[in-house]
Amino acid sequence: MSSCLVDGVFNVEGLNLYYGDTHALKNVHLPIGKNQVTALIGPSGCGKSTFLRTLNRMNDLIPSCRVEGSICYRGENIYESHVDVFDLRRKVGMVFQKPNPFPMSIFDNIAYGPRCQGVKDKKVLQEIVKNALIDAALYDEVKDRLKENALSLSGGQQQRLCIARAIAMAPEVILMDEPTSALDPIATAKIEDLIIELKKEYTIVIVTHNMQQALRISDMTAFFLLGELLEFSETEQLFTHPKNPKTEAYVTGRFG
Amino acid sequence: MEELLKWKEQMRSTKKNRITDKITQHIFLGTALLSASFIFIVVGIIFVQGIRPFVTDNQGLGSVNLWSFLTGDVWLIGATFASNLYSVGFIIVSTLFIALLSLLVSFPIGVLTALFIAKVAPKPLAKILRTVIETLAAIPSIVYGLFGAGIILQVVYDVSALFGYQSKGGNSIISVVLVLALMTIPTITAISEVAIRSVDKTIEHGSLALGASNTQTNFKVVLASAKSGIFTAAILGIGRTLGEATAVSLVAGGRRAGISFDIFDTTSTLTTIMLEGLKETTGLDYDIRFSVGLVLMAVILLTNLLLNSVKKRVGSVHVR
Amino acid sequence: MFDNLKKRKLSDGFMQALTYLSSTVSLVTLLLIFGFIISKGSSFLNLNLITENYESQGFVADLYAGYELCDCNASGEYLEDGFYSKKWGIALVDSTDLLGKNVVEVLYVHQDSPFQQLHDKGIGTDPIKMKTDYDIIRIAFESHATALSRHGAAQMIEYLNANDSIREIEFQTAGGGIKGSLITTLYLIGLTLLFALPIGVGAAIYLNEYAKPTKSTKIIRSLIETLTGVPSIIYGLMGLAIFVPLTVSLTNATGGNIISGAMTLAVILLPIIIRTTEESLKVVPDEYRQASLALGASKTQTTFQVVLPSAIPGIMTATLLAIGRIVGESAALVFAIGTAIKDDITLTGKSTSLAVHIWAMMTDEPANIELSATIAIIIVLITILLNIIIKIISTRYLKRKLGSAYE
Repeated sequence: MSSCLVDGVFNVEGLNLYYGDTHALKNVHLPIGKNQVTALIGPSGCGKSTFLRTLNRMNDLIPSCRVEGSICYRGENIYESHVDVFDLRRKVGMVFQKPNPFPMSIFDNIAYGPRCQGVKDKKVLQEIVKNALIDAALYDEVKDRLKENALSLSGGQQQRLCIARAIAMAPEVILMDEPTSALDPIATAKIEDLIIELKKEYTIVIVTHNMQQALRISDMTAFFLLGELLEFSETEQLFTHPKNPKTEAYVTGRFG
Repeated sequence: MEELLKWKEQMRSTKKNRITDKITQHIFLGTALLSASFIFIVVGIIFVQGIRPFVTDNQGLGSVNLWSFLTGDVWLIGATFASNLYSVGFIIVSTLFIALLSLLVSFPIGVLTALFIAKVAPKPLAKILRTVIETLAAIPSIVYGLFGAGIILQVVYDVSALFGYQSKGGNSIISVVLVLALMTIPTITAISEVAIRSVDKTIEHGSLALGASNTQTNFKVVLASAKSGIFTAAILGIGRTLGEATAVSLVAGGRRAGISFDIFDTTSTLTTIMLEGLKETTGLDYDIRFSVGLVLMAVILLTNLLLNSVKKRVGSVHVR
Repeated sequence: MFDNLKKRKLSDGFMQALTYLSSTVSLVTLLLIFGFIISKGSSFLNLNLITENYESQGFVADLYAGYELCDCNASGEYLEDGFYSKKWGIALVDSTDLLGKNVVEVLYVHQDSPFQQLHDKGIGTDPIKMKTDYDIIRIAFESHATALSRHGAAQMIEYLNANDSIREIEFQTAGGGIKGSLITTLYLIGLTLLFALPIGVGAAIYLNEYAKPTKSTKIIRSLIETLTGVPSIIYGLMGLAIFVPLTVSLTNATGGNIISGAMTLAVILLPIIIRTTEESLKVVPDEYRQASLALGASKTQTTFQVVLPSAIPGIMTATLLAIGRIVGESAALVFAIGTAIKDDITLTGKSTSLAVHIWAMMTDEPANIELSATIAIIIVLITILLNIIIKIISTRYLKRKLGSAYE
């Protein structure tokens, strides 16, 4: 609680992360602003996905993973022992690289999170599901078949369902780990539109491989290389006038 | 000249090779065909033998009526060797009833054990339990039967006495159900564990990322995703239950007439009636066992077809 | 909306407890089974059990003329455990035989005892020797009440001490041994493997090495797979209908016998052997085959000299699995070999396996739970041992495979 400064939603201070002996994140400092889209870019294995997963402590699932430093969220270091990690994940939702709907109906997929929190009232659940689907721009496509298995949806629809599923928890932040990498261009465009729309209500952190996508949708961009945060600035700035030559080389496509 | 001879020899050996290749291939093909043909031999011989009591006059006793054989509720009306009035209708019902009950016991326990081993238990404990399950699976059914006759009968007898029942030495439906359930738990556990462990990690992470606890994730998402494999475990379990013979025969008590759903009552299954009095019998009383075998195979086949169609419906996904 | 943290933790705890509880069932079952068979059966578990006949052999005898009472001392332990007659040089004890009956058992016979040489009153002409573990049924005297086994060893010794001669002694060998069933089981293992291994391994080789992935191959495979779903009692009926008459017509057998039993077991085991062997053939890298063929070896040579040796761990596993199944199988054998417990074993004569031995005793009146439990201990020990060996083979094999993959 003590030395936790908050500029934006998250404030990452001196974050180091180890997988066993591997030093995967090196002394990362990064503030994440409210109602902004922050894009994390960098070549494969640079630590951007790892960084994303520290924000809702999904890295806890890897036994050999060790974290040093602090990540402030709502004035608290989320790596302090008394923090309820499930509570954190409720407020910091996540969308994964591959759409991963549960093998149950569309309705049940979205109602899953609230139900886990003990919401039983059918009317309330219906309301939550409807609103989440509307917010995720999926409602019109699926409103007549909410009872159908979620796996019957197309890939793009599945990913929007996963976003709706995250929204249903009324989170403050949504983490997205390359959410469009498994989708075709049309589905990708829909998701990108959705992200821009969602920005009004949520803070979004997105990992992407696609430079153009970062440019299109993000306000701030962070460039990672070999576990280090090399550059962090406004997206326009980073793509047009990068300070670090390595950043320039990457965004202009000379390596990656 | 010498060179030429060498070549010739080699040519011949290639030719010889080709012939041996052909021969070995045909021998191997023969073993494969023989192995595959046994299913026809098994089914065929049970069919031919099992149908006989219905189409011959059984050395003067007259042919058995198929309809009353399948629907009647007395195993044998009249004296052995002097009557053709056999029926297994009530035995079919009790066999299915017992299989259902034992699955009701073994299925939840087996699946939860599998979940425990795959997801909940600390690693050393999971390892121990896996060994326990493997050992239980390796113990032959006759030992389960002996255990049932030595321990379960006693327990059931005492418990039924508490309820004011005088069970026949504990020989009862519930004893059979318990013996079968204990026998099938390792099967169901082993197969379910494989199914649970092969659930895609990303689905699990999806649930955890929504703030669900590990337990909620395990019960709501992992089990739902492993549904199909778990169902297969249940199907195999019920197959084992229907076909088990010797272990059941030691605790069933034998029932020769009337359907009873009272769990403290004695009972017969299709397999125990085949074994009953086997040591001293001939003629129709002997041949009729093949007919019971035929009924048993039909029951197993139909149950499998039914469960597989249910499985398709439950586990189906309408992919667009 | 989300303020149910306590409730959630409670229900989480409850669900988790359920999984713990379920797992306990298996553990308790295993412990109970072990506890049961050991407590009931371990008292019979000794070497005599596996060397002794099941049927006991009875004798009626008297003393040769000119015998001498011995008046010999015995070491203290015989006096502690049983009752010793110094005059006759014999120690007796109350005991239970393998069939569960109370008997008077011979604990010790002194080398100078008159019981060392007895005159057979039956058909035999050779002198009989009283041995340890024999059961004495009665001893009749010239002018004294007869000592009967049901009155115990103490009285028998008392009566012996009171007399200087005996008119007649009736005794029997111990009996209740499982030698016959053990031998039958061993024969069954050998014969079954002799039938099933060549066919099973051959079929596996055909399916994996020769068969093209056509529809008919698929059908062959699924037909073999279907065999696993047939309950063993049905196989028993098949053995009874085909193999028993077959062996009766070809040999001097009169009914179910070891050969018909082994044939039936072979059919049961085929799918297991084929599947296990095929799995081990599948992991043989294709490079081996190609390398062998590229060197000009024929397909047959490649199969026998390159592929099969690599598959040997798999075939061994199949063999061990098969042995486990043979030892444990009961329902099929009840029909295919029969339930007659015999001591003199021939391939074509009546006899039965250990597992059926249990079933036969348990369906008799009264059931002999003790000896059944003893046999169960032996069967369970064998299956556990086989499981351990299979595990060792598979981990060794896996290590070697992984090792070579990383090289």
